[in-house]
Amino acid sequence: MGQLSLKSVIKTFGEFEVVKGVSLDVHEGEFVVFVGPSGCGKSTLLRMIAGLEHTTDGDIVIDGKRVNDLPPVKRGIAMVFQSYALYPHMTVFENIAFPLRVEKAPADVIKKKVEAAAAILHLDTRLQQKPGQLSGGQRQRVAIGRAIVREPEIFLFDEPLSNLDAALRADMRIELTRLHKQLGATMIYVTHDQIEAMTMADRIVVLNGGHIAQVGAPLELYHKPQNTFVAGFIGNPRMNLLPARCVGTSAAAVTVQCQGQTITLPVAGREGLVGSDLLLGIRPEHVALGRVDVTLRVVPHVVEQLGQQTVGYAALEGREENFLFVLPGTRGIQDDQPLDVGFRAGDCHLFDAEGNALERQVDLAALTAPAG
Amino acid sequence: MARKNTDTRAMIDRYRWWEVMAIYAGIFVFLFFLLSPFIEGFLVSLKPLSQLFSSPYRFWPENGSFKAYSTMWDSVPAFGWYIFNSFLISTVATIIVLLLVVPAAYAFARFEYAGMALVLGGFLAVSMFSGAVLLIPLFRLMRTLGLLNTYFAMIVPGVAFLIPSAIWLLRTYMMRIPVELNEAAYMDGASQFYTFRRVILPIAMPGIVVVAITTFIGAYAQQFIFALTFNSKTEYMPLPVGLFAYFGKQDVIWNELMAASFVGIAPALIIIFFLQRYLVGGLTAGAVKQ
Ligand SMILES: Nc1ncnc2c1ncn2[C@@H]1O[C@H](COP(=O)(O)OP(=O)(O)O)[C@@H](O)[C@H]1O
Ligand SMILES: [Mg+2]
Repeated sequence: MGQLSLKSVIKTFGEFEVVKGVSLDVHEGEFVVFVGPSGCGKSTLLRMIAGLEHTTDGDIVIDGKRVNDLPPVKRGIAMVFQSYALYPHMTVFENIAFPLRVEKAPADVIKKKVEAAAAILHLDTRLQQKPGQLSGGQRQRVAIGRAIVREPEIFLFDEPLSNLDAALRADMRIELTRLHKQLGATMIYVTHDQIEAMTMADRIVVLNGGHIAQVGAPLELYHKPQNTFVAGFIGNPRMNLLPARCVGTSAAAVTVQCQGQTITLPVAGREGLVGSDLLLGIRPEHVALGRVDVTLRVVPHVVEQLGQQTVGYAALEGREENFLFVLPGTRGIQDDQPLDVGFRAGDCHLFDAEGNALERQVDLAALTAPAG
Repeated sequence: MARKNTDTRAMIDRYRWWEVMAIYAGIFVFLFFLLSPFIEGFLVSLKPLSQLFSSPYRFWPENGSFKAYSTMWDSVPAFGWYIFNSFLISTVATIIVLLLVVPAAYAFARFEYAGMALVLGGFLAVSMFSGAVLLIPLFRLMRTLGLLNTYFAMIVPGVAFLIPSAIWLLRTYMMRIPVELNEAAYMDGASQFYTFRRVILPIAMPGIVVVAITTFIGAYAQQFIFALTFNSKTEYMPLPVGLFAYFGKQDVIWNELMAASFVGIAPALIIIFFLQRYLVGGLTAGAVKQ
């Protein structure tokens, strides 16, 4: 139980199409994260699954049953709102008990379930307080408690951590992952924070302008982004994209000219590519000092020393955009001093003129295998 | 709440001494104009009648006493009735207004429908009419309906005049209750009515109390003109008109009139005193993160 399918789901507000035909299968017990920039339709899609927004077209199917016309309670779904949406005049106990009171559950059942939820969420000592007396993190946990007591098959979260400060957010990420393991329920989680997406998700759904840009496991998106949007969205700082021209192809390699150099990249070539404009992508963290397969002379005009790593923002000949590189640890790099940096051809990504990736010839299993 | 207080505190601390003086001087002038009629009225109620016309005029009473507060009941035996009538009219009007306005304001705050702006604008336009302009048509209406010289004549038009501003006031208050609370309750399976009763109503209580108080005061104030126009029977007479009983054929019993005025507003003050317990601010604290 807890299996969800979206079939060509569309949502329009008046003339304005916000969700433009999304199809997706979420497996039972899976933790799926929707990410995307603000306004791309994440919340709208989630609210359609919840039953808070009417679905303009397409089907929402839960456990084999079309639920488009069912109210939220009948869908076996609970939702945690970004703003917590706690009832301010009720105690924590009553807030968590609310769904059970609506069901007219017997008092002893309510007490048992609320106390069980409070124990999971470390709210045992807060049950008689009002939401106004709680910290942000505690309020969020009350909101989660209210979702838990209903024992739903599917949990929906809309940016539940975005109102918390950074330290608390890291704690709550771990809590939520633990909760997912403990409850084994399906969870669908909306965020615009890619760290949350990368750390919590079994699979990430990247949304862009109402479309799915790519669906995949976190490291799959990182190592094999299917388009420039995903390439730019996953990974921080974002991937460098350099204009390149194709000069030769084979089944497993494409040769390009980029920044005055000829480079052969291990990506799947195809007919008719020679002579076309491409984009070469390289992640800042794959750039190293000195000469590698590809070497670039750059002039870093800003250097950020973060301790754990050093981030350089460099001008590149003939280009307006900064070329970013991330070096591990602290490096004595001077701003405004020319510098040779390089990267391996095997780390590069290549995108065609439409922004679609030419598949990297890398073994994902090997890249993501536990270190041996 | 606590945060708000410290913010205010910090703001006051930022004023210079002469700014603080100016603020207090302003408050004093304001209070003087506001309170001096009451103070003098109260002092008059303590003076013997003979002192009121002495010249030069004395502000402070000599041999002041509360005698007028007991003799007023003898001079106008029906005065107790007048208080009761006032109280009854205002209370019934307030209850009717609340029964109509609370659900209406909620509907106006939460649901969009075609023509809503027109209806709300209409309320505003109606409430800008001075009641006096409508007195003659209202009189004819009351006569046709056979309501002249009944309590209804003083309650029904009063309710009609009080509703628009009450709706505006409460709608504004209810619009500040986050919609997510409705959505959360809906997710949990609560019906519209359950949500209204268990979630919205308790949170809106301070706003409802404000509306109740302003409506009660408004109903008290407008009785004068409605009673004067629509009622000539002593047994239905409310207090503001009843006070005229202290205007004798030749002279006015000023000290008793003033005493009666204070006695007359006492019930209203008591009601307001009890209602204001519910005026706790910050009830929505912690509902949503702003
Ligand atoms: N009720 C609504 N009426 C009209 N437009 C809406 C409504 N809700 C959301 N939108 C629009 O739909 C788009 C997607 O919104 P949303 O799903 O909230 O984005 P996200 O959660 O990804 O930031 C936005 O452009 C927003 O303005
Ligand atoms: Mg959103």
